[in-house]
This record gives sequence, C-alpha cells and structure tokens, in this order.
Amino acid sequence: MIYEPSPAGPDAVSGFVGAGRSAGVRAALLRRRSRFGDGAYGALRWTGAGLFGAVVLGLLIAIASDSSLAFQHSGLGFVWSGTWNPAADQYGAGILVVGTLITTGVAMVLMVPIGLGTAIFLSELAPRWIAGPLATLIGLLAAVPSIVVGLWGLLVLTPIFANQVEPFLASVPFFGWLFRGEAYGPSILLASAVLAVMTLPTMVALSRTAFAAVPVADREAAMALGATRWQVVRRAVFPAARAGVSAAVTLSVGRALGESIAVAMVIGNRPAIPESLTTPGATLGSAIVNQFAEASPGIGTSSIIALGAVLLLLTVAVNAGGQALLRRGSGAHPGTAGALR
Amino acid sequence: MGIGQNIYRSYGFGVSHTSEGITVRAHGFKHSTAGPVTKALSRRVAGPVAVLAISVAAAACGSTSASPTTSGSGAAATATPASANLLGAKYDTTTPSSVTLTGAGANSIEPFFESVFYQYNQKNSNTTVNYSPAGSSVGVTDIQQGTVQFGDSEIPMTASQLTAATGGAILQIPVDLGGVAISYNVPGVTKSLDFDGPTLAGIFDGSITNWDAPAIAALNSGVTLPNLAIKAVHRADASGPGYDLDQYLIDTAPAWVTAIGTSTPSRTWPEANVGIGEQLNTGVASYISQSSSAGAIGFVEYGYALQNGFVNAAVKNSAGSYVAPSEASIAAAGAQATSLSPTDFNVVNETGASSYPIANFSWTLVYQKQSDTATGIALGKLFDWVVTTGQGDAAALGYAPLPANVATLAHTTILELESSAGTPLFAS
Repeated sequence: MIYEPSPAGPDAVSGFVGAGRSAGVRAALLRRRSRFGDGAYGALRWTGAGLFGAVVLGLLIAIASDSSLAFQHSGLGFVWSGTWNPAADQYGAGILVVGTLITTGVAMVLMVPIGLGTAIFLSELAPRWIAGPLATLIGLLAAVPSIVVGLWGLLVLTPIFANQVEPFLASVPFFGWLFRGEAYGPSILLASAVLAVMTLPTMVALSRTAFAAVPVADREAAMALGATRWQVVRRAVFPAARAGVSAAVTLSVGRALGESIAVAMVIGNRPAIPESLTTPGATLGSAIVNQFAEASPGIGTSSIIALGAVLLLLTVAVNAGGQALLRRGSGAHPGTAGALR
Repeated sequence: MGIGQNIYRSYGFGVSHTSEGITVRAHGFKHSTAGPVTKALSRRVAGPVAVLAISVAAAACGSTSASPTTSGSGAAATATPASANLLGAKYDTTTPSSVTLTGAGANSIEPFFESVFYQYNQKNSNTTVNYSPAGSSVGVTDIQQGTVQFGDSEIPMTASQLTAATGGAILQIPVDLGGVAISYNVPGVTKSLDFDGPTLAGIFDGSITNWDAPAIAALNSGVTLPNLAIKAVHRADASGPGYDLDQYLIDTAPAWVTAIGTSTPSRTWPEANVGIGEQLNTGVASYISQSSSAGAIGFVEYGYALQNGFVNAAVKNSAGSYVAPSEASIAAAGAQATSLSPTDFNVVNETGASSYPIANFSWTLVYQKQSDTATGIALGKLFDWVVTTGQGDAAALGYAPLPANVATLAHTTILELESSAGTPLFAS
C-alpha cells in the first residue's frame, strides 16, 4: 500500500516509451514523475506513521477514559484485589492476573522445549524432504483460527484430560499435589495445553529463521575444531541465534497472555485462586470474553475495559522484562550474534 | 448487507436505505389489488422523512417517479387503512416488500426461533430473519443501540435499561414459554431424580459434593446413588436460565441467600467459584453430554435438554410436589401468569400442583416507533404469527404454547407499533 506510488512512476514512463516519445521528453517526464512520486511517497509515509500513532494513542485514551470509572470505584486495588464477582458488583483483577500468568507460564514450559527442538531439527538435522513438508504443516497450524483450536480443545482434549491425563498426573508420586482435585476436564492445565499448541508455530517459525541466519562458516569452523553435531548446535548455532529465539519466546508469550476465546472454552471459568493445575480457573482474556456482552452498563462495562487495561499493562511489562533479560544476556555472552559478525 | 440493515436507523446512512424502501414500496403498491396506500405510508411521506426521501429520489434512479406517486395517493388513503395492515384472526402474512430482519438475543429461544422463522419465511418469502443467539443481554444492548430490528431477552428490560434505549419507547412482546431443566449425567441413574431448593442450593454452593450425599439420598429413597463426585456446571456468561434458577433458589433455600449474600436474582451466576462455567446453553449441554463428565449436573433451557436427550430432575414446586419439565408442566406454570406484564414477569415457583417451578417467558423487544414502515409492518406481522400460529411448533421443541391471555397481551402490544410520525402501523 505504502509503496504504491513508486511502481506507478516507472510503469507510466515505460508506457510513454512504447508510444515513441523522444529521449528528452522522457527524461523530463521521468524527472517530474519521480519528483511527484517522492512527494506522494513522503506524504503517504507521514500519513501512515501519523495514522498509526493516532490509532495507538486513541486506543490508549479510550481504554483509559472508559476504565476510569472502574478505577474510581475500586481504586488502584483493582489490579490486585482478589474478588471477581459481577453478580455482587465486586470487581478485582488480581485472581485473573494470577490465572493469566499461570496459564501462560505453564504453556511456555510445555511449548518452548518442543518448539525449540522442532526448530533445531528443521534447520540443522532434518533431511530436506522432511523439513519442507513439516515446516508447511507447522505454518498451517499457525493459520488455524483460535476458535477452532478452542473447539478442538473442548470436544477432543476435554474427555482425554478428564479420563486419562488428569487422573494420571494426580497419581504421579511427589508431583501429584500439583494436579490434585476433581478431574473436571476443563482446567488451567488444559488451557495451557491449548495455548501451547497455538503458540508452537510462532516459536518454530521464528527460531528456525534465526537458526537459518547463522552463517554456515560458523558451523564449519566448529566442525573443523572437532565438534559433534550437538556441540555445533549448542556452541555455535544457538548462541548466535539467541536474539531471534528470545524474540520468538516474547511473541509467543504475548499471544498466550492475550488469547481469550480458546481459553474461555477450556479453562472452566472459575475466578478463584487455583488449588492445583487441574482445577478450573479464569484469565483476564476469558473473563472479558464471557462477560463483556453481558456486563451491566456503567461500572460493569468499565470494569471489563479495565481488565483490558490490566492485560495491556501486563503484556507491556512482560515484553519489557523479556527485552531486559535479552540485553543482559547478550552482554554476558561474547558468542552472540553481534560478537560473531 | 447486514451492516446496511443494522445502520438504517442512523440518519447518515439511512439515506440509501430510505431510497431503497421507497423503490420497493412503489413496486408493492403497483401489485396491490386493494389500491389505497397504507395510512402509515402516507404519514411517512407527508412527514419530515419525505424531505429526505425526495432528496434521495433524485440521486437514486428508478425512485424518482415513485416519490410523487406515493405521496399523491397517500393523502387520499389516510382515512381508510389498507387491509394488508390488519392483524388478528386472519394472521395475514403477506407483506408487500422484501425485508430482511436482523435480531439478536436470548440463546434459550434459539431452537424455537429457528423453526418459526423458517416456517414463516415459507409462508411469506418477503420476510427473511437473521437471528443471532448471543445471549439475552446482547439482545438488550443491541436494541438499545438500534443495531438490530428486534432483540430478545429472557428477562424484560428494567426501567433503567429502557431509558438507555436510543430509539425511544420499546415494546416488549412475550413470544414463548420455556422452562429451565436441571440435567445430569450420572451413569446408572436413568430415573428422574427428585430435588428440592435446599438440595440444589447445596449442589451449586459446593456444600453437597457427592452423589450419594444424605441430602440427595433422603429425597430419592429406592434409587441406588453412586459414590461419585458432583461436577456442578453453571453458565460462564450472564443468562436467562441462570437468572431463573437463581430466583428459584432464592425463593426456596435460605442457605442460598446466605451463601450469595443477596436476595436479588442476577443474570450473572452468583456462585462462580463452585464447579465450572461454560458458555451458553450449548456449552453447558455439551459438557453434560460428554461421557467423561460422569457426575455432571447443570441447568439448561428445557429445549436444549430435550435435544440432547438428557435425564432431567423433578423439582419441588410450591405445592410440594416434584415435577419434571415437560410441555404440560411448563404450560401449567405459564397458566398461573394471569397478570403477566413486562414488570410482573416472574413465573418461577408458581402455584399449582402440576406446575414446573422454573419456568419463564421470553420477551421480544422492538421499538414502538419504526422509522422504516416496511420494516415495522414486517416485524408486526412476523411476531403476530409467531405468538399465534407459530406456537404450534413449541411443544416439539421443548416449549409450551403461550396461554391465551399472554397471546392476547402479545397481540395488543404488537398493535402499538407506530410509524416514526406516531401513526399506528396496524388497525385493530
């Protein structure tokens, strides 16, 4: 869209060339055209940037003003207060924040090792005839709408979790307490599993690109020094791709934090501090999905929008934290992308 | 197209819709054998909208000739309303122009609406209805903001909700009579178990946690109850069935009032921290029906319980008898509603030995003043058919036909529909 004016110039010019205009006229046209093109492009750029800024600013202003009623009603304590019970006009985001952090955390614990392993396999180990189709499949997974993943979680995973996964986990020695309680099926663990599936393609695609960007010379140097395949990945490829892998994790976390529909379908929607990972829970996103349409005007609606504000802050905080970690990490390791190239 | 229908109320965009309306109506007029144009139409053209219509007519080709024609014959027709606009015993379903009506609201009425709207369209192909079963409160909000032509709610709008409506006075028409089933999935128990208010309250507030609990066993002597944990399912979104059950528990179980801390029923389920929450009737029904949900108990609109073939509890009514939901028992509860009105709508825990105690009417919400006459007439005819002939479908779908007094209330309410200028759309 933004680049439209530039191709339009040469096209128009070549049209004139075909019509047999003289070289002088052509040059003049080209000059005028390109000056016009530059101007239009510049204007478009500024308009685009301005519009983008205005939309973000407008969004922030709208969220701030629409949620102000809730913050007046509950004070700043809205963010950490523990009770969410719209039926009694009690609004507090604390439990929902905890639920959001737990589901996202567990999802990342489940997803990151698998995603990283898949990416390393695809870029370093897999023969081309496997890597191609597998990468396509993972791309397809990224294109599945979240409501479809949610339905799959609800109809396919719920019975499996209720009958097999949750009872089995509860019986595991030493860790059973993490999974105690009635096996409903819909639970924090199931929501995390669904989130893991949803964020896997992002993780794989981004970290695979990061691995692929590591120069072949790095690998060859490591191999020349007698490194095994694992050592090449561990010592040469992974350190160089750290930045890309961290970006992949950050983006996955961002998506997991904000995912609403699929989570609402499988988490069981219980706004209480969870006793274990297999009890039903609630997240900021699931509470918004369930109650926005039904919220009572005024304080109810405002509180739901305030949940959105808290979610926004949480996402910004997690992203900033991730970047800070990354910066500290890249300072400590000389073998990162910057140092190598 | 949906957007075009939805925003017709906003004057900025209403222009194109108006021109469309004029064109279509002129077409219908040409085919009308009766001749005279409706009183409403004449008022509409004579009113301020006419300015709009004529200014638009210049832009919209084809309607240029239509405007003068309608306004000319309209003046003559003011005295005698057209027969096409009569409602009543004939249940005349013909409408002159093609109209698509968009509605949103209660999820509980969806099976009934889906059936009657289809059948009405078979009789009158000029009226097509799109209904979005997103929940009662969506119906209320959407009609308040005028994004739909009709809303539907399991609970009539409150005074404060009515004042928040952007398009003036709202008519609330009772359109169906349903019940809330207490459905469960207990392997080995195929009999309809008996429950009273305190026992249900115990299940939903978490004080009764097992199927072989003494409180349940005491009401069901002779039934072998398994040692199985109870998985209580409630609605995660605010709902009509939740409101009705909350009302029943408040009426019958003092412990419930203590547990939830209020005696005012709420659409949002007040005990969300017990059991699990699922979205809409479909979500609750889907959870109960899964084989992995052994021990589940929840509440759904009876129509959904019927569709799923659930075993439903027999619930203790105010006469002390245990009654399972059925067309007859829901009808018996509805028959007690002799003074039904939008402000006196409660049919929970009605008297009568055969009354099912958790029953409710569903209310369709329309603006009294219809800025588009064709839409107003189509709405009136549609819902007059729904509350009369359309009720024939109710029983098979898990609803009870409206009692005669309620059908009359619905009919007289529909007769209050007006054009934007304040002229009745229908002659009684």
